[in-house]
Amino acid sequence: MGLEVKNIVAGYTREVPILNGVNLVAKDGQVTVILGPNGAGKSTLLKTIYGYLTPQAGEVFHDGKRIENLKPNQMLREGIAYLLQGHSIFPRMTVEENLELGGWIMRDDEKRMKAALQQVYERFPRLKEKRSFLAGILSGGEQRMLEIARLTMTEPRTILLDEPSVGLMPSLVDEVYEEIRKLKEARYTILMVDQNVRKSMSIADYVYALALGENRYEGPKAEMEQRLDDIVREWI
Amino acid sequence: MDLSLLLDPYILTEVLVQGSVRGAMYALMAAGLSLIFGIMGVNNFSHGELFMLGTYVMFFVTVILGWPWPLGIALAAAVLFFFGMFLERTLIDTLRRKAGRDWVLDAFILTIGMLVVMQNLALISFGSERRGVTGLISGVLVWGPVIVSYERLMILGVASAVGLALWAFIRFSSLGKAIRAASQNPEAAQTLGINIRSIYTITFGIGAGLAGLAGGLLISIYPAYPTVGFEPVIKSLACVILGGLGNVPGAILAAMLLGIIEAYSAFFMSAGWQNVITAGLVVLILIVRPSGLFSSSKVERA
Repeated sequence: MGLEVKNIVAGYTREVPILNGVNLVAKDGQVTVILGPNGAGKSTLLKTIYGYLTPQAGEVFHDGKRIENLKPNQMLREGIAYLLQGHSIFPRMTVEENLELGGWIMRDDEKRMKAALQQVYERFPRLKEKRSFLAGILSGGEQRMLEIARLTMTEPRTILLDEPSVGLMPSLVDEVYEEIRKLKEARYTILMVDQNVRKSMSIADYVYALALGENRYEGPKAEMEQRLDDIVREWI
Repeated sequence: MDLSLLLDPYILTEVLVQGSVRGAMYALMAAGLSLIFGIMGVNNFSHGELFMLGTYVMFFVTVILGWPWPLGIALAAAVLFFFGMFLERTLIDTLRRKAGRDWVLDAFILTIGMLVVMQNLALISFGSERRGVTGLISGVLVWGPVIVSYERLMILGVASAVGLALWAFIRFSSLGKAIRAASQNPEAAQTLGINIRSIYTITFGIGAGLAGLAGGLLISIYPAYPTVGFEPVIKSLACVILGGLGNVPGAILAAMLLGIIEAYSAFFMSAGWQNVITAGLVVLILIVRPSGLFSSSKVERA
């Protein structure tokens, strides 16, 4: 099932659409990567899928259900989590409060909340150690871990990642991709936008390349890896 | 200025209590204003008119209906809470969705418009005379050289209890946590399923409810009349700035400080000086510490 985008046209103003009919499928349990030069509409596509932008035309299906008219705050209930580009922790709240807010939609289910916290703390012992610290004083890498951990609190089926390694120091980048690999092993459906072409290709199953808001190339990882040089050369 | 009075404990405590009562009123107003600013980015210039409506609710309930005063205070808070949510959803929310990115600047003008409309509607409906309620509770507490009326103690008690309840709500309840999350990173809060629109509406309701409560609580000092909200809103705006924009505990602290400073300056100089002192203090602090006395980076939890 997974996530399916059909002929999406969207933009910030009606007159200037950024996406001109993009088609895409993120298959269940796979990592699908979207590549493309700056301005290709990669982040805009994720924002449109998540309801920050209302498409002028086209459809989005998640596990067979049409979702293009839903609002961002309804998406997690549909089983879709979203890692925003840049910082998305709440800096003046504790690590644990941040995680609890990740479970906001199940706040009345104390048992489930406790179990989810327990699971996160087992996977990220460092977050457990620092659970009563304010999230804002964690290191950059720890903040990213917290953001990734928070995504999984409600066990969504699909995760959208917008530039997960951007702005991190090189030594932390590998750690982030290691975490994404773990999410893949846990069979989450992942749709990822990334400028770090080689790193993201290494964990991808299927790759799309966008250009000027349209589909340019697509194919399974092995096939796209061979054509990668041509694809990247086109951007320059 | 007769400085020998500084040695008289009766006068010192009397002025201190008087200042604290004023401070409590500023604090209730400033806490709401600061909360609304911190979360929505909107400076609500019509906050004084919400206070004014609170005084009218109090007058209506206790004098016209003849119900007991605690009910009047509770109803002033409740009516304004719902009226605030109504105002947010019909006016501010509509503006936000239609105006797009620059809506905060438009909201600035909108709340000034709300001020003018509410003030004049009150003038047409109720006339300009002052309708007060005096002596909610009679009697005084005598404790050594200190004499405090029970009414003032009640005002201080209610204001502190409400302030504490507000703090606990924001700090510990899940809705309070969602409100803080929405103020710190609204986009991220949305991805977690938090409905920002509802958060804004509830926040404005809480702020309006606090203004209504202040209006009801202080009816014996500020009677109901259409422009009664002017002084409270100017002073509480000053507290919001002094406390650091959007910093609720900072605003409350600044409010108590301002109330007490005003009371002492009124007593030792003359009543006319208190507004000069307030305004002078704001200018001075803005020059020395532009981000407020208690800027958010120092106070870690809003």
